Amino acid sequence: MLKLRESQNLMALAGIVLLAILISPVASDGSRIFLQVGNLTDILRQISLIGIVSLGMTLVILTGGIDLSVGSTLALSSSLMAMGLTRAWPGSGYAAHMLYAIAAATLAGGLAGAVNGAAIAGLEIQPFIVTLATMIGIRGLAKWLTNNANIDIGFGRDVAAQFAAAFRQKSLVIGSYAALAAVFWLLLSRTVFGRHVRAIGDNETAARYAGLPIRRVKIVVYALSGLLAGFAGVLYAAGNQQGNPNAGVAYELDAIAAVVIGGTRLSGGKGSIAGTIVGTLIMGVLTNMLRLGNVDSNVEMMVKAVIIVLAVAVQRQRRMD
Amino acid sequence: MPELLRAEGISKRYGGVHALKNASLALHAGEAHALVGENGAGKSTLAKILAGAVRADAGSILIDGKPASIRNPVDAQRLGIGIIYQELDLFPHLTIGENIVVGNLNFPEGAWVDFRKVDAFCRPFLDRVGLRRDSRQMVAELPIGQAQLVALARALSMRARVILMDEPTSSLAEDAAERLFQTIRELKQSGVSIVYVSHKMDEIFRVCDRATVLRDGETVDTLELPKTTPGALVRMMVSGLDVGQVGNLRGGWQPPRGPIANRPAGFQPAPLLSVTNLTTRKLRGVSFDLRAGQVLGIAGLVGAGRSELGAALFGLDRVHAGAIRLRGIPVRLRSPAAAIRHGIGLVPEDRKRQGLMMDMSVLENGAMASRSVERERRALEPLFRQLSLHCPSYSAPVGWLSGGNQQKTLLARWLLVNPDILFMDDPARGIDVGAKQDIYRIVAELAAAGKGVLLASSELPELLRCCHRILVLADGRVAATYTAAEATPERIMAAATGAHTC
Amino acid sequence: MTYRGIDAETRRRGGLGEFRTVLARCALRWTPRLRVSASVMLAACLCSCSTPSTTGAAKRYFVAFSQCNNAEPYRAAQNALMTKLFAAYPDVKLVIADAQQDNSKQVAQVETFIRQKPDLLIVAPNERAALTAVMGQAMEAKIPTICLERDILQPNYTTYIRSDNAAIGRMAGEFIVDYLKRKYGEPRGNIVQMRGLLGVEGEINRDGGAKAVFARYPGIRIVAEPVADWIQAKAKDRMTEVLRAQPKIDVVYGHNDPMAIGAYLAAKELGREKEMAFVGVDGLAGDAGGIQKVKDGVLAATFVYPLCVDKAVEIGNRILRDPSFHPDKQYNIDATIVTPGGPQ
Repeated sequence: MLKLRESQNLMALAGIVLLAILISPVASDGSRIFLQVGNLTDILRQISLIGIVSLGMTLVILTGGIDLSVGSTLALSSSLMAMGLTRAWPGSGYAAHMLYAIAAATLAGGLAGAVNGAAIAGLEIQPFIVTLATMIGIRGLAKWLTNNANIDIGFGRDVAAQFAAAFRQKSLVIGSYAALAAVFWLLLSRTVFGRHVRAIGDNETAARYAGLPIRRVKIVVYALSGLLAGFAGVLYAAGNQQGNPNAGVAYELDAIAAVVIGGTRLSGGKGSIAGTIVGTLIMGVLTNMLRLGNVDSNVEMMVKAVIIVLAVAVQRQRRMD
Repeated sequence: MPELLRAEGISKRYGGVHALKNASLALHAGEAHALVGENGAGKSTLAKILAGAVRADAGSILIDGKPASIRNPVDAQRLGIGIIYQELDLFPHLTIGENIVVGNLNFPEGAWVDFRKVDAFCRPFLDRVGLRRDSRQMVAELPIGQAQLVALARALSMRARVILMDEPTSSLAEDAAERLFQTIRELKQSGVSIVYVSHKMDEIFRVCDRATVLRDGETVDTLELPKTTPGALVRMMVSGLDVGQVGNLRGGWQPPRGPIANRPAGFQPAPLLSVTNLTTRKLRGVSFDLRAGQVLGIAGLVGAGRSELGAALFGLDRVHAGAIRLRGIPVRLRSPAAAIRHGIGLVPEDRKRQGLMMDMSVLENGAMASRSVERERRALEPLFRQLSLHCPSYSAPVGWLSGGNQQKTLLARWLLVNPDILFMDDPARGIDVGAKQDIYRIVAELAAAGKGVLLASSELPELLRCCHRILVLADGRVAATYTAAEATPERIMAAATGAHTC
Repeated sequence: MTYRGIDAETRRRGGLGEFRTVLARCALRWTPRLRVSASVMLAACLCSCSTPSTTGAAKRYFVAFSQCNNAEPYRAAQNALMTKLFAAYPDVKLVIADAQQDNSKQVAQVETFIRQKPDLLIVAPNERAALTAVMGQAMEAKIPTICLERDILQPNYTTYIRSDNAAIGRMAGEFIVDYLKRKYGEPRGNIVQMRGLLGVEGEINRDGGAKAVFARYPGIRIVAEPVADWIQAKAKDRMTEVLRAQPKIDVVYGHNDPMAIGAYLAAKELGREKEMAFVGVDGLAGDAGGIQKVKDGVLAATFVYPLCVDKAVEIGNRILRDPSFHPDKQYNIDATIVTPGGPQ
């Protein structure tokens, strides 16, 4: 039977897509710009980074926690990526060099996440506070490592440029988002680990009584969130052709917005990856629709705020029934 | 019968309070063993220790004659001890199957979920407890009676040899309770032992073989139930209380007619409260009158709309149609604050979640509906004494108190505010005998003082005893109204079960 | 946990009935909300919507300008001037997008512009590396592109209109050296450099040009080089930190006026503003601009950094109207110094 929350999200997405098509400006050949393949794939690429981060955020929120440090982790990872390509491992073959750098950047993200998880699960400090602290600390680390300067990845023929050329392609970016989304959907709905994640957020007391490995699950969940943010940082470095310690500011809020619009409750226990994907798409289509209409980007922010509140209000209304 | 479990010398302290002091329990295989005592006597604590949710400070536990250590719920599970909590520790947003299978040592699985295997595993246990639902349904969608069955199925699926049940029928309607008793009988026959923690004498005498009485954290005695009487048990439970006519029994034993039913209610010209065609989310066209000095009972099954009626009168639910008149004047109750201003009070069903701030002190909770604690302190303390509220200090957090005393705190709050109309939703639920008596006494005194009291309850003897009239709700509608003289348990039940049951 | 059951009527209808009931209920609830949200968005769009259309009797030109950060006064002045100049041409429709100093946002905005196929695209890139590829995309889509004031890593534009920041750096350096010579009789002193966004051409050259001059005088030392991202408030904070660390400062060289002014305010709060001279760059007109601050004595000197917009509009118009026009790859606009004695 269709999960009602998801069908409601899909209706919302359909509604917004319809609206976008209706008010889309028309190109000189008569086609609607919104519907052009290039534009649609643009949207997908533009949401991919936030989308990837939102996957991890969904898991974290499902356990009843939150991760405010993902933006800073992305910045750190992009910086490490650029540094790895330009300053480390000289003389390696291109493929190997790229692999080392990607591994270093992504694993650094995972490590940061594991630190979050250990503090939250082990020291039992509230997730908001722990990840607020790491949000600040990790960004400080990124700025310190790079001396607060961007590290450009050029357009030449060196390994950095090759990496950028390869990893900024639309197909790769969208493809990795799709692949990760599929993996995490499976993880959450078809594995015992996923069941434990949902159970812990649903009723942590009952989870303790049922003997679930709460600490382990939480650490893994935050580590996964960090890993995904790390990978997003790798893609960011390729897309913007720079390692940037100041990147990703407020990304965590965009990710949380996507998760919330997608129907996951902030208190945990109820939610799904599919919902988050729909939430991400809704935000992406909305932004594109407003930009095509040349709406001032400040108005854009206000519209987003209205949508978030509306989405949560509608969900609360559903729950009151 | 061989001895299955023996606990001895169990002690547990919470801060300065001795929850258990040298408590003991001996359990035979295949028996239903009641654990009785006033609230605060330590019954729930002992059950939690056996289930591994709480660690005892001292004492020993023997299973099948061999010493066992129960440090956590997983240990308990391995030893074959299962528990069904009063508050039901289930996962509302997981499916029935997931709830049964999660953390279940008896269901080995790898990393991947095999949905069919889960369904196949659960089905026999669900059938055994009589739950005919698809195991892929979410528990949050079930009525509480069925949710409890899920908890029972889970315990059974863990091959429990001992199942502890903490106040199992407190949220159940009659028919679900009957089914539970039948299941208990079947379990006994298959060699499973039940520890039945409860206040309800009639149920205990019906279902259980033996009873252990706890008082103030110690075991007083263990008795064979056929050889004793409810009065004797209660005498052991309660120290220094005159227990002449306490307890509810269904069928057989006639409850004494209390002072209220014999007194003519004081009639006023216009009804204190007049409700016409009240329609809300749940209620459909409810109409009745309440006169000052009357106690109106609200009966019905779980989900019939009793609590919703209270919510509508207290401004918590939006009124879609119909009118509420106070002394003939129509009023719009848009919020609890408005209801309080009009002189209506509500003692909610779930005192822990809807009524009290558990971390705040008794005094603060008592003063919650009025302005300042300081001003009310002088008024509250005599009220507490009048209600026979016992606690170490009025500044203690209300969460430390027993259920009965917590309920009295809540009542004090309303007595202080002195409303004209008070809606009490199941006020005597989960409370020990002595406190129940106090509450009935207060209901009578409120009516005598000219207030209008609406008493919603699932306990028919309670309604029969305290109320002038009884309104029976079914599916949000008024099914019948009876005066005290006309009302019998059979008539009320018949009216209440008009449509669908759990 | 209070469990709420499905109501009796729905239970009666069974599984599909349950679905239908809840769907009906939620459709009833959703429709007013959908209407509301749709109207909100429609209203927002219509308010500021300027859909380019390429049909109509007269030819209308759509000019798209991707500005990196409206929050900087220099850029706000650029926007104002561009709007004013293009307003003289009623057949030109100008749309300005603000990327709020966010690379990803600017890339996405330029991408969206490309989709709309403007007749002319002007970009003031936020950072060199990040914007290079997308401007290449614009060129590939055959959209005439003007790169304004800041440059990118590769020449992915039709023309680049710039002012010589290196020259400004040199002029600033010379001015500072002269000032120090007059103060001490010889070229020595402590300098604080207040720097803007490090990845930007203007910053690199204003820094490099001045340092090339200072390198000739061993007595002149740069004692601190905080980064304030072109923003006055940040500069004030950074300067406060520097003031606590440095006992003696002779000159503060802010790479733009707001940063120099921010440094001045920080020094004033600690009572040390008379100790040093403040030099800025931009020289905007108006009460808040650098020229006024020179008149007020806050800044010792500033350099009028041309907005480059007049040239951009001139070249842009020619590109629009004359298909045979091939602009130079680069246009340089000179800067002038402004001191209390007036512009030179």
